[in-house]
Amino acid sequence: MATTTAAITLTSADLLTDALSLSATSTLHKAGSTEGLDQTTGMAHAYLTATTAIDIFPALIEASIAFENKSNWVYICNLSTDETEFLTVKICEQVIGKLYAGDFLWMPWSMRESQNANDHHGDITIAPSVNTGMHVEFTCINEGTEYHTENTSAGQ
Amino acid sequence: MATITANLAVSSDITSYGLNINKTMTMSKAGATTGLNRTSGVQRVYLSNLNHVDLIVAGLAGSPVADMQLSKAAKVYIKYLEDDTTKFVRVGMGNASTNTTQTPNNGDGTFFEMGRLYGNEWMIIPWNGASNVGDITVQPSRASTAEKAIIEYVVFFED
Repeated sequence: MATTTAAITLTSADLLTDALSLSATSTLHKAGSTEGLDQTTGMAHAYLTATTAIDIFPALIEASIAFENKSNWVYICNLSTDETEFLTVKICEQVIGKLYAGDFLWMPWSMRESQNANDHHGDITIAPSVNTGMHVEFTCINEGTEYHTENTSAGQ
Repeated sequence: MATITANLAVSSDITSYGLNINKTMTMSKAGATTGLNRTSGVQRVYLSNLNHVDLIVAGLAGSPVADMQLSKAAKVYIKYLEDDTTKFVRVGMGNASTNTTQTPNNGDGTFFEMGRLYGNEWMIIPWNGASNVGDITVQPSRASTAEKAIIEYVVFFED
């Protein structure tokens, strides 16, 4: 069983009158258990040269519930050093927020089947703000990814 | 101009070569190098029933984020304060249904579940805060008057 720990420290010496310092640590478990997460997509490093929104992790297959309600943790980081460049992060086609240069997110992710047959199934997409090239890192640590079977149709 | 930093450290033996993240971000205003200059402060919310409710509504008058500019560079930190790892809080986005049944995860802007925070877990995300479809919602798996679900959050944003 793998052990994955995540720690965050938030600090600011000058946002408030008094210094702000907040820390938290958690150990990542399978849903509702104390067993550690044991699978990952690995850390990806991509260089994106189009502003098109792309899926970065396999989402649920249509009509599949086997992977619903499992524990998934997602890390996405915009490695750009240009403060004007950002990634728009969406889930189910809805904007979560923008990651500007150097920003990251760390969040749980629910892959749940869509109810309006649009096949989004909680998919996470990212879209660069520029097409001149942006470096991005992302990984998912979870208890299972529903990999799609090969499509053997000609031309697929 | 304030300087707010967040350091994320993830350590794992999930692969034979390990998986480690150590990243620090300085929270800046959208498209700028100047720092975010507003915060909600650390807020603690006690939920005593299983209702699906709005946790944070950007720009809501009288709230800790009343003067937040939408679609900028806000960041949100949320933690579920609970030792029992079988309990969880659904964290979603959209309009809360304000009853015990969430509206469907339908991708059309009414509501979707982003993820679940189990006991003692936390998250940090950028936040768009779009009107109506961008509220951050929560729904605990277990909560009662006797045993409330406790959630902490902080928003950093620009005015």
